[in-house]
Amino acid sequence: MPSFIRIVAAILLVAGLAAPVFAAASQGQPPSEPQSEFIPIDQLPPQDQLPAAPLLIGAYAFVLLALFAYVFSVASRLTKVQREVERLEGDLKRGGRG
Amino acid sequence: MPKWFTPAAGLCAVMFGLSPLVIASAPYESTMGLVQKIFYFHMPSAWMFLIAALVCGVASVRYLFGGSARQDRIAWSAAEMTFLFGALALVTGPLWARKAWGVWWQWDVRLTASLMGWMVSCAYLLLRKYGGPGSDKLAAGLALFGAANVPFIYISVNYWRTIHPTTSVVPTLPFSMGFPLTFCVLAFLLLFILLMQMRIRLEDQRARLDTLYLSLDE
Repeated sequence: MPSFIRIVAAILLVAGLAAPVFAAASQGQPPSEPQSEFIPIDQLPPQDQLPAAPLLIGAYAFVLLALFAYVFSVASRLTKVQREVERLEGDLKRGGRG
Repeated sequence: MPKWFTPAAGLCAVMFGLSPLVIASAPYESTMGLVQKIFYFHMPSAWMFLIAALVCGVASVRYLFGGSARQDRIAWSAAEMTFLFGALALVTGPLWARKAWGVWWQWDVRLTASLMGWMVSCAYLLLRKYGGPGSDKLAAGLALFGAANVPFIYISVNYWRTIHPTTSVVPTLPFSMGFPLTFCVLAFLLLFILLMQMRIRLEDQRARLDTLYLSLDE
């Protein structure tokens, strides 16, 4: 069986198994009480308050890690290709002399 | 690499090293508080994403109508930058939105168009990697769609009112917020130029490698 058909079959199988779970999750949540007035964010109950620091740290950490990873990736690819170019140039020079 | 590359890379590293201090010195925004400081990396990432998509589109047009292989290499490099900076903007945005809007994602025009632009860059890169002969022209055509999407992403928030801030916010920022933003934009712009230089150099070397292999075969 071609590999892409196996991949498609696997995706369909996972989607088929996951669909009832998502459907149950969306139906299982009780409707929240409608809010009729403005509540300042610092007066919300503790369970509704979302700390900002993990989101901020997560955002900056992701940016810096992604940039480092990309710089490292390009630098290593460039070094590899440059070594290959130098090796081939050396081979060509030796071939020209011989 | 050109002579300016090393000093510019040093300057860029210093700017990124100083950026946490500069961002920390900015005041808290009155309604969003601490989480609003994601803005100082989110917006420069988004701007570099748009600039990269435009560079990719312009180089692709020049490649399609001029046939210069160098323009194709620039377009390929810019497509990778579009992918990188687009990913940064699309990850940092939801982290900010979760606190500020209460949701990770909204299917509004700017967010959806940005996601589409990023997906175009994914398609471009996949096409170049697995497309085989002729994929360069096909990918160049795809890049035109990516570039045409850029003005739409930028102005969309002014025509379709959504919860995303409009383009009029940045020019009205006070100096205490405008300076850190300008500092970060310059740092990201310098990084973008340096990465483009490295990436184009990589493509130039690959082209040279192909020429050398052909010489060996002959």
